[in-house]
Formats: sequence, C-alpha cells, structure tokens
Amino acid sequence: MKKIKARAYSTLLVALCLLAGVLVYICRYAVHGRDWVAFPANQAVYQDGRLTAGVLTDRGGLVLADVADGARRYAADAATRVACLHLLGDRAGNIGTGALLQFADRLTGYSAVTGLPAGGATLRLSVDAPLCVTAQEALAGRRGAVLLMDYTNGEILCMTSSPSYDPDLGFDPGDGRYEGVFINRCISAAYTPGSVFKLVTMAAAIETLPDLYERSFSCTGSTLADGNQINCTGVHGQQTIEQALANSCNCAFAALSLELGGETLARYAADLGFTEALDLDGIPTAAGSFDAADAGSAALAWSGIGQSTDLVCPYALLRYVAAIGNGGVLAQPTLFAGGGGKETRLLSPDTAQALKSMMNYNVVYGYGEGSFPGLTLCAKSGTAEVGDGSSHAWFTGFLDDPEHPYAFVVVIENGGGGLRSAGPVANAVLQAAVNTTDGAN
Amino acid sequence: MDALTQGILIGSKWVLPILAVWLLLRCVRSMLQENYEPELWARLEFSDGTWADVRHWECIIGRSRGCDIVIPDEQVDRTHAALIRSDRGQWTLYDLNSGGGTAKGALRDEGAGLDVQDGDVLFFAGVGAVFHPLDEAQLLENGVRRSVPGQFISPAVSLLVLTVFQTLLALQYSADPGRSGAVSIALSFAVLCLIQWGCYFLTRALDRSGFELETLAFFLCTLGLSVTVTAASEQLLRQQLLRQLLFLVAGVALFLLLGWWLRSLRRTKALRWLLALAALGLLALNLAFGRSSYGAANWLQIGGFSLQPSEFVKVAYIYVGAASLDRLYRGRNLFLFIAFSAACVGALALMGDFGGALIFFATFLVISFMRSGSFATVFLAIAGAALAGLLVLTVKPYIAQRFAAWGHVWDDPYGAGWQQTQALSAAAGGGLLGVGAGRGWLHTIFAADTDLVFCLVSEELGLIVALCAMLALIAIAFFAVRTAAGGRSSYYVIAACAAAAMMLVQLALNVFGSTDILPFTGVTFPFVSRGGSSLISCWMLLAFLKAADTRQNASFSVRLSVKGLRPAEDGGALLSGEEAEEP
Repeated sequence: MKKIKARAYSTLLVALCLLAGVLVYICRYAVHGRDWVAFPANQAVYQDGRLTAGVLTDRGGLVLADVADGARRYAADAATRVACLHLLGDRAGNIGTGALLQFADRLTGYSAVTGLPAGGATLRLSVDAPLCVTAQEALAGRRGAVLLMDYTNGEILCMTSSPSYDPDLGFDPGDGRYEGVFINRCISAAYTPGSVFKLVTMAAAIETLPDLYERSFSCTGSTLADGNQINCTGVHGQQTIEQALANSCNCAFAALSLELGGETLARYAADLGFTEALDLDGIPTAAGSFDAADAGSAALAWSGIGQSTDLVCPYALLRYVAAIGNGGVLAQPTLFAGGGGKETRLLSPDTAQALKSMMNYNVVYGYGEGSFPGLTLCAKSGTAEVGDGSSHAWFTGFLDDPEHPYAFVVVIENGGGGLRSAGPVANAVLQAAVNTTDGAN
Repeated sequence: MDALTQGILIGSKWVLPILAVWLLLRCVRSMLQENYEPELWARLEFSDGTWADVRHWECIIGRSRGCDIVIPDEQVDRTHAALIRSDRGQWTLYDLNSGGGTAKGALRDEGAGLDVQDGDVLFFAGVGAVFHPLDEAQLLENGVRRSVPGQFISPAVSLLVLTVFQTLLALQYSADPGRSGAVSIALSFAVLCLIQWGCYFLTRALDRSGFELETLAFFLCTLGLSVTVTAASEQLLRQQLLRQLLFLVAGVALFLLLGWWLRSLRRTKALRWLLALAALGLLALNLAFGRSSYGAANWLQIGGFSLQPSEFVKVAYIYVGAASLDRLYRGRNLFLFIAFSAACVGALALMGDFGGALIFFATFLVISFMRSGSFATVFLAIAGAALAGLLVLTVKPYIAQRFAAWGHVWDDPYGAGWQQTQALSAAAGGGLLGVGAGRGWLHTIFAADTDLVFCLVSEELGLIVALCAMLALIAIAFFAVRTAAGGRSSYYVIAACAAAAMMLVQLALNVFGSTDILPFTGVTFPFVSRGGSSLISCWMLLAFLKAADTRQNASFSVRLSVKGLRPAEDGGALLSGEEAEEP
C-alpha cells in the first residue's frame, strides 16, 4: 500500500495543473478584464453595439451625455449638443475619436473588484461646455477648430470642431457644408501651418545660432533660394530677430532655414511632437509631416516658413505653445477634469522664455493689444497658402497670466488672414475663458 | 425596487462569497488538516522480539523500504510476500515469487496462498514471525484512540452554512421583481435543502460522521440549481427545475447505493467483468443509435429523457479499472485494461466526443500509473494518444477549427471565438462579487448553463464563488490522495484517485475551455453544469471517494472496523449506551 500511496500523488499533478490554470486565469482577468467588459457584444453595457452605460459631464457638472430608456441622450441645450458633438461622438459611432467610444471602458464603471456597476460611471470632463459653445459660435459656420487648455495642469477647457450638427436632428448628407463633418479637426486633421511654424524654426535658431540676437535681417520684399523667388508679406528693411518674427518676415526665415538645414529643422519638428501621431488620453491624434529638404533648396527655405510639405495637427501646436507658456514644460493635455498628468520638458527654460517674450512682442508691436483688450497675450498668427489661392487662418499662443494660464489654437480652413480671421475667434474664446474664471472667483 | 429588495441584493452580494469561502475552509480543514492514525488490523511478532503493525487489508512484505512491512534481512527479497485480508476477516499469505520462499509452519506457498490464523508462525525465507490479528477488544480500543477529538469541525454547522447560502440565493431570486416563478424557485431550493439534510441524518443514523464530501457536492449542486433557474425560460422553468431535482435525487440514490455496494470488496470485484461488458455494450449501442447533438453523437433518447451513455461509462470505467493489490503483484498485466480503455476512448472519438475521450484518456493515465508505477507505460500511452489525436484533428474538421480558434478568440470575437469572448466579457462584468443571481446576461448565450457555466456563475455570483466551486473539487482531489495513506485496499485508493482525477480533468476542460486557456471541448463542470447524466455520474464518482475514507466512523461506504462505536457531537467516539449516562 505504501507504493500505491506514493503513486497516488500523480493525481495531485492534475490538481497542480488545474491550480496553475486558475492562476493564469486570475492574472488574465486582472489584466484584461477591462478590455473583456468593453466588448460590444457585452449585453450589460451595449445595445446593438452602442454603449448604454455611463454619464459624461463637463467640468461644471453639466450633463453632456447620459442614458435614458436604454438609449444615449445628449445635453438638453441644442448649442451645447452642436459644440460638443466631436468631443463626445455621435450615436452611430461615425466620429471614432469621440469620448463615448474612446472612454467606453471607463464609462462602464468597471473595476476588477466590483465588476460592472448598474448604470455605469459618471466621468467629469475637463471641458467647459459654454466655452465650447462660444468657440463654435465664433467660428460662425466656417470650417475649423478651436482648442484651449490650462497649460499648468493640462486640462483641455475647449475643444470644438466645425462643421458640426445637432446629433438629435442629424444633417443633410447631400449638403456640401457637411462634407467631412465626422472629423474632429482639433485632433484628427493636419493642415499646412504657414507662419505659426516659424515658432519651431525660431526654437531651432535660438538654440543653434549663438549670435542670433546680434544679427540684423534684411528684407527687400523677396529673396532667392536656389534660383526660386520667395516672396515676403512686405518690405521690412533691416530687422532684429524679434522684429522679423513680429513681421513674420519670410526673407529672414528663409535665410534661417537655409542656414539651419533640413536635418536640424526636422529634428526640432520631431522632438517637439509635430510629426508623429500623439496620444490624448488614449485617443490617437493625426500625425503631421515635415520633410528634411536638401541643403540650399527652395523647399528647405519654404519648409522653415511652414509651407512646402509641412503639415501640423492643431493638437500638436497646442502642446507646443502650452509648453512655451509653462516655461518649457508640457503638462500632458487631458480631457478629464483635474488634469495633473505627467509633465515633460519640451524646451529649455531659456528658449521658452525667449519665445515667450518674442510672442508677446508680436502682440504688442505687431498685432496690436487693442484687439485683445485686457489680455496679457503672447501669440503668433499664420496665414498658410494652400495652393488654390486661399489660405488657412491660424492664430495660436497663450496668456502670460498666472490667474488665467490658457494656451490656445484657432485654425480656420481657407479662412484668409490669420490675424484678421482667426484672431477675433481667439479673442472671443479667451475673453469668455477669463470671464468664466473671474466669475467663479 | 424598494429599499428591502435593494438591501437583500446588496447584502447578499457580500454575504454569499463569505459563506462560500467559509464553507470551503471548514470542509478543507476537516478533510485535510486533521492528522489521523491509520487503522490497525493485526501484528507480526518477529523472533527477535520486534513487532510490525499490519495497517491495511493488503500489505506487501519485503526488504525494500517501499514495503508496508519491512524486514531488513538479506535473505528476504525486496518484495517478498503479500498479506491480504478478505471482507470476512480471513487473512491469506501469498508468496511473490521470492527466492527464499514463504511458509506457514512447514507449509510453503505454491501460488494458491496460505490461510493464516492467530498464532500461526510465518516464515519469510529464514525469518520467522507470529501472526496476531487484533481481537474485538483491541479493535475497540484502537477505534477509540483513533477517534480522540482533535480540532473537530462539526459537519452539521457546515451544512447549516450551506443552508444559509441557499436561503440567501433563493431570496435573491425572489427579490427580483422582473422574475416570475418565485414559488417554484423557493420550493426547489427547499427540496435541495431537504435532500441534503436527509443525507446528513442518514449518515448520523449509520453512526458515521464524515460529511465533507457530500457538503461540497451539495454546494456545487446549489450552484447548479441556480444555473438552472437563470438559464431556464419562463415557460420551461418548472419543468427544468423538476428535472434537475429528479436527477439530483437519482444521483444521490445511486451514490448511496454504489457507496453501500463498495463496502464489500468481494462483491465489488465480482461485478467488474459484468460492468466492463455493460460499458462496452452501452458504447456500442450509442455508436449504433446515437443522436448527434452539436457535433458529437453522444446522446441516446430513452423515453422522454436524453441520456449521455458516456457519463455512465465513466463510472464503470473506474469501477473496472481499479484493482486490488493481489492483482497488481500476482501475474496479470495491464493488457486487458489497456484494451478496454482503447475501446472506450476509441468509441468516444468515433462519436466525435473529443472532450469525453480526453477525460477517459487522462483517467487512464492515472489508473495505469497507479497500477504499474511505470513512467514508461505512461509516456508510451501519451505518445500513442498524441498520434491518435493528430489523426482525429485531420479527420474531424470542426475539432481542428476549435483548435485553430484556441488562444485567438479575440481575433474573431463574433466568429470562431464568439462563445468564449462573450463568456469572458460577462465573467469580467461580474467582478469578484457578481451582479446578482439571475441578473446577468450570459444565460442568453447558447450552452451558458453547461459549457460556459463557470463564466455564468462568475458573472452572477462573482469570481470568488466561482473559484470556490473549482477549489471544492480540487480539495476533494487532495482528500483522495490523503486517504491513500490509510486505504484498506489499493482498489479503493486507485478508484478514489481516478475518480478525483476524472472530475478534475473534466473541470479543467470545462473552465479553461470557456476561458480560452485550453481548446473549447464542451464538457460539463462536475455537479454544476445543467444536465442529468453528468450530475448522476458525478455523484456516483463521489461514492468511490467515500469508499476510501477510512477515518474512524467517517464514511457510510466503509464497513466499521468494530461495532459499538459511534461518533459523538464533539467528534470523539462514544461506546453505545455511554451517551445515556451523561447529564
């Protein structure tokens, strides 16, 4: 019997395999449970593939989307529904980057311990819905995007994209105005940046050319690069580097680009986050592009001016100006209230400080503070020629104001002059943002 | 929902897992923690004045340290002789082809064995010993010593814990305003309760105290009943509950019957040939008239009931496969058993019941290893089976398809992996505590109450309860191994271990199949999956474990070593009549 007893342990081999399997399952459950739950065939939280759990509110607690009678319900106010459509996503899931789809796993309220609570979770987003409405209305039906964030903690306060529509009413697909309506232009589009890209070229110049501030840049209205003529916006004469940026002088930046070279510019574009697809709370954003052109070529000269094959996603530009405003450190942007994500240094404090003072100089001596009453603004405009004679209007920057630490990007497709078209939109949103904060205090 | 029902739901969500863990711990401690002394049947008094204890009905005597009675003398063979007791108390001494021979007095064993009595002088080669079986008074004394209470865990309290568990579960169902048939549900849980307490009192009436295995089985059956309630449609609820309870009664009745039958090794062994033939006949019948159901033609329609003959063949397989020690050491090899196993596995493979074939094969490995002790046999068998398995994969495309989906269910969540992905999704949604009995959604998926039952329980009652169900079976297996130390006959030990291994393999295929850790083979979760044949066969398998439990006055399936002892409430033993004297 002793021998039989020893052989009986073979049974335990089966038991041990079973226990090992149980451990594997528990580990997988702990690691993947969240993904398993957010499977559209999960009838507890999905109906016909649509999430029917969870509530999204704006930073003030205003309900942007909840569930009533097993179906998704949007905000009560029509203007809010329009302004926040791309942020949330439509019912059918055509807007793939919407929070309802992208944050599905968080909306279910799942935790490995308690599983799925009835009704899902309530997520408070960082956006301020009235601010989004203001921005959407300021765009006035023009195609474009408005982004505004608190550069000290990364909270995105405003994200709105145009064209948009009321998800409760739908839109006429035959109407040309709604072409590309499902694209959130803040994060899923990349445009020719034009002069706003000079902020990147400038960062490279500051850190690469030690005598930059002693130099004088001459502008006769045009210059030659590899035999091609590069036109300027005016005849600027002799300028310091600050004046060249305020004048947005193509001659000066063509010269800088040729001197810095394609490799250096490409490195700065990549390091500052302009070329790769980025990640906003798990939402992939559109990649930009920057091609390192041959030394001495016209393409190189144009690339440093934000033309040529340059493409920039508005979100990438927001990160960059937010970092400048925050002394070179980027507080990771987020759509969730509270912010406080990880911080990354994009620029040295000196470079950030230099860019900041030049961007303030732009406003004071270039754009005119009168257009932005009461704001301590640092900004750069851009008018990006897109080849058909029209141009995208850009206006980007931040408030140098600890009470109102806002960075912003406004882009209007084929909107004409950056300062003239996008500037007033930026002003409207900034004024509203400042008033909201002051009102709350 | 009013405050009361809400309170019941939330409260019981927490209490159910606690009760399940508590119940499991009680049973595990009672089964595995307590050390108990093996039985003592006889003594050998050697000429040099030393004694050897005879603690089993089957003892091997020899020089090797692996023998039950070790004689450290060069004249004695490593494995010299076997001393075997019959049901009726008759001891027989067999020589195991030893060099020096075995004798009683001047009488040498020539192969037929020597009946030995008290006082007989036995010779192992040149070593002599006097044989003394214990008399009635010594057996009684030994029995009392063996039942001195250690850390006694009352089976009645464990069963009470289970009863509270069942009550809360029934309350959860009746607190669901959207559910009809509350009376049927409450009644069926009440009937389950009656059956288990009936079993308990029967055990007590038979002067037995061991009830852990039954308690764990009833715990699993409770989950099975809950699964039946959840998965049944409104129209079929009463019918399904009635069927499930009828099968439970049949299972428990057959458990008691088989347990009683196994008490006698003689009659048990007498029936082996008949059962082997019956099993083969049943499989042949199944092959000829089997009804195909979702890929596997392993069903028989008899009267209004669908039966899975392979489930009953499982019981017969273990019954036939286990062997007593005299058989293992005297002559016979594994040939007939291997042929029988090949026939069973082959028949199942032909039916397309791949999971069933795997279960038989794994059990075959355990039995053949326990019988032969030879790794070579086991490796040979595995190699052979791997080849056969490959053949099956090429011949049966739907099995190959399941293998292809294995580990990749999320690549094709709506196609090849749809059952597993939904099962995992639902199981994760349940968290540790579950969404509440009857409040899940997985029950709407095909085979949720059988193949996916682990995830169904996990969704509704939580991962903790689902894991408790698994651990209950694993604990039963550990118990089977533990009983080996005190087993009377190797027949009981082999049968218990094989039965436990069979349940575990089945459990592994079920749970890991539905969770994509193993290929999906569609076998049942012992005791929990809805289905009659499976439930009955599991109860019958449990009888093999009861028959190996030689703790003093523990198992109804083990004949008492001595009459007149009865278990006391505190776990100690009382002599009959002793109780009356106490205040």
